[in-house]
Amino acid sequence: MLSRSWRHLCRRYSQAVTFRTTENSPSQHNEKQEGLFYTMNPDLCKQLFGHGGFPKSFQLQTKTFTETAIMVRQPALDLMNCIRASDMDKPVIRYVLYGEKGTGKSLTIAHLLHYVHEEGYLIVHVPWVSEWLRRVPRHKEMSNSQTREGLVDLPLDAAAWLIHFKSQNQTLLKSGDLKISKDYVWSKRETTEAGAPLAALVEHGISRVKYACDVVDALVDELKILSTNKQCKTFVAIDGFNSFFYPLTRLNTPTKKKVKPEEVTLTNSFLKLTNNDWSNGAIVVTADQLAVPDDHQESYLPRYLLYKKGFEHLDPFVPIEVGRYNEKEFLCCAEYYRDRLWLRGPKEIETELKFTSACNPYRFMEQCAPL
Amino acid sequence: MANNIRILNKCIPWYPSSYLLPRISGLLQAREYSRPTSFPDYFQNPVFRKEDQAKLIESSELSKIAALPMKPPAVYETSSVYHDPLVNKLINHVMEMGKKQLARSLVEKSFENIKRAQIERYHLATTPEAKAKIELDPKKILHKAIENAKPLLQLQPIKRGGITYQVPGPITEKRSLFLAIKWLLEATYEKERTVHFPKQFAWELLDAANNTGKVVKRKQDLHRLCEANRAYAHYRWQ
Amino acid sequence: MYFNTIKMSHVIIKQLLPHTKSFCVKFRNPAVCNVFNYSTKVTTTSSENALENLTDWETLSRKKKISKAMKAYLERSQEHDEFMKRQQFEYNIGKRHLANMMGEDPETFTQKDVDRAIEYLFPSGIYDPAARPLMKPPEEVFPARKAAEFDEAGRPHHFLFYTGKPSYFKLMYDAAENIQQLYNFQDKIIRKKATADPNGSLNLSSSVWLTKDQLEQVLVETITDLEYNNFKLVMQRLVSLPHAYKVKEFIEKYRKPLASQKFALEIPKPSYDAEGRAFITTYECLRKKARGDVTVRAPGTGKITINGKDLTYFEDVQSREQVMFPLIFTEMQDRVDIECNIEGGGPSGQSGAIRWGIAWGLRSFVDADMIQKMHVAGLLTRDFRRRERKKPGQPGARKKPTWKKR
Repeated sequence: MLSRSWRHLCRRYSQAVTFRTTENSPSQHNEKQEGLFYTMNPDLCKQLFGHGGFPKSFQLQTKTFTETAIMVRQPALDLMNCIRASDMDKPVIRYVLYGEKGTGKSLTIAHLLHYVHEEGYLIVHVPWVSEWLRRVPRHKEMSNSQTREGLVDLPLDAAAWLIHFKSQNQTLLKSGDLKISKDYVWSKRETTEAGAPLAALVEHGISRVKYACDVVDALVDELKILSTNKQCKTFVAIDGFNSFFYPLTRLNTPTKKKVKPEEVTLTNSFLKLTNNDWSNGAIVVTADQLAVPDDHQESYLPRYLLYKKGFEHLDPFVPIEVGRYNEKEFLCCAEYYRDRLWLRGPKEIETELKFTSACNPYRFMEQCAPL
Repeated sequence: MANNIRILNKCIPWYPSSYLLPRISGLLQAREYSRPTSFPDYFQNPVFRKEDQAKLIESSELSKIAALPMKPPAVYETSSVYHDPLVNKLINHVMEMGKKQLARSLVEKSFENIKRAQIERYHLATTPEAKAKIELDPKKILHKAIENAKPLLQLQPIKRGGITYQVPGPITEKRSLFLAIKWLLEATYEKERTVHFPKQFAWELLDAANNTGKVVKRKQDLHRLCEANRAYAHYRWQ
Repeated sequence: MYFNTIKMSHVIIKQLLPHTKSFCVKFRNPAVCNVFNYSTKVTTTSSENALENLTDWETLSRKKKISKAMKAYLERSQEHDEFMKRQQFEYNIGKRHLANMMGEDPETFTQKDVDRAIEYLFPSGIYDPAARPLMKPPEEVFPARKAAEFDEAGRPHHFLFYTGKPSYFKLMYDAAENIQQLYNFQDKIIRKKATADPNGSLNLSSSVWLTKDQLEQVLVETITDLEYNNFKLVMQRLVSLPHAYKVKEFIEKYRKPLASQKFALEIPKPSYDAEGRAFITTYECLRKKARGDVTVRAPGTGKITINGKDLTYFEDVQSREQVMFPLIFTEMQDRVDIECNIEGGGPSGQSGAIRWGIAWGLRSFVDADMIQKMHVAGLLTRDFRRRERKKPGQPGARKKPTWKKR
């Protein structure tokens, strides 16, 4: 057993390790590993991203390549440095990742999640906001909120997200240090008292789907209090944040009226969370063109995608652009694909692909597919 | 001055200034619609693949051909390495209503599916010999599949004495290729509603490359029929 | 002497002529007539008169009446000649006037300048270019006429005159003769068991047979389609024989060379911009309905700008591939920068136009060998195909309504 892993290690080392790095811990990543791929532990992947977090195409790739490998890129490194350097007593800094379609924003967030998990933060991760607001199967379970008038609930989505939250923060929740500060009365017979562990709140939400949205709301409040009291560090990552601000969703009330995002309870919870009235944490948000319908996808800049409301809500924030591959990254990626048998053929293909894909990571992956 | 200017109905073709065709003096063939829609016969087909050009240089024919006018290559043809005339033909057959982009994306997705399936098999195979046997290039699989699906004879209906016999006869290369692609696509269209075209097509190609599956069966049935009707073969020459 | 000859001729005539009633009439020779004329009304012919009235066969034939057809033909051809001379004169004067009007030198005013001047002075909105105003030398404008085909006696010069199309049938006859000659030559070679001249060969790849209209012009006769096809068949037969190089001149007369080397001439020299980089701009890049211009700059890094945007201006891979095709073919993708402005048409048309523009511009930065290769690849040919129009009575350009057997 040991010899086999040793052999693997030797093989990896001897394979002119120009595109891989053995440094699997993001906290150790620095400019030296820029452009190189590092592999993630499969169990860790399942824990962190079991219920979302990777784009669907990337998940398929992990299955084909039999491993999860992420490229270390400049935006992620910048963010990690910023988080390390930020002062935890000040209110949270908000970072907005933006870029063209397919340049790697979601994967940057995944990289950060890994880093942050190692550092022991409490993770609040929304894998893809549009999933709630725009993905409407034949019958979407919606109910009118009970605690708040006129707002719409998405119980199943909230419950699913609570499961996701639980699996991501298994270790922290199991330790049981985090306690709620207030009482929450759900109904005549169900209450969660102050002093109960956070895990209990989450469990309640999962088991009683009816109250899941309210649980989410309560959770948000608790997290803010806990962070400000320095009981835990919180890291918030929301992918596709700009769909909270698009004027319409695809949801319809039973009376066939279109629902606006502000009328959904989940929106309000997360908007509350992204206010910078708490400290001891970091918020990373992406503004993605794919989160809005095709007519409004003219530009990828945050000012356009976030609309006035979102811009004001998030102001001030630190914008970070996630760009296309540069030369070195492109070559590393091409080598990695060759290693994983995804790209075959003579070397000239790479020059052509560089131009036809315009160094866009997603397009490059797409175009290597039939080759 | 005015009588010097002749306004005559003599057709002189109008082309852009830097145009390369020789001026055809006299009356043009199509009198009403004077703009030709395709290149005249003496334009040669272009040779843009690097290998083909290298072959021409070897046989020193390049300079001779360079003296002739050449047609421009089509919009879907490039000199790049990953361009295959067979793949282009396949895309054309898949295309309906002129939607080339959609056809191309379908074929590319099916290649992707083939690739993923083969890579999975590759990783499941344990010994290096087994790994070497697995073909990972979807284009090679396509070539193999089409080769296995090409019929070698065809049945021609010939009427003798009031009865139409199915007589086996030879088949040209082009027709056999056409039949192979047509059978592959027909087999793909007989699919369940839930399975999408790329996936089904990938399965069909993999089956055909392994000499199993519907298409190869159809070819073998055709061969069996030809063998059975051998007795009538002489009707072709009666 | 003359009397002797008269007597001689008299004798001869008497012997030769048959005894017919009308033989008297045949005698034109007045002296002879006088001899036989016993009437008293005959004027006495003195020897001088006789001398004067004496003629040979030339004068006989000259005094013979010219046939009506010949007369008419002579008149017509005279008229035509005069007409052409007048037209030529007027054309020359008109050319000089035109040159003066355009402010150019009348001496060096070529036909091209004439065409340009007419286009400028008489701008025409007529669709068909053949219907627009035209000024050309009269030989081009008026169809050629044949010279006198028969002499004054009415005898045709050409031995195939009575076929109605002498030049055409002479051509076929020549071709057949040549074929026969080549057969004989072949037989001789086989008999002698000798090898023919190995250097002799016929290069027909850079020429085509004359078209029907061109043949009509050469032969100055109208030909039917069937006759033209026969002509082509015969010539192909001639060319297919092994020693066809022997009749090379005959064959070359009826073949038209294809003008195709234009891509190698006039390669423009690059101009230099502010930073000292060489660049070439190709205007008028057309394909279908797309119009634009392409600037190729060298030395560069491989940046491509289309209408201000990157290569991502084209969403689909095919168009991007087309734009990259000439660069990858000549392996200049990292060495030049491309800037283009395109409008009109769709992705195919625009990318095709850019492809041609890049290839045309790259000619100045690439050596002659590569230019030849580009031409063989067809990158330098302008694609002038346009959408075929829909015809009335049909659903589309070529599609016909359902064919019904009855």
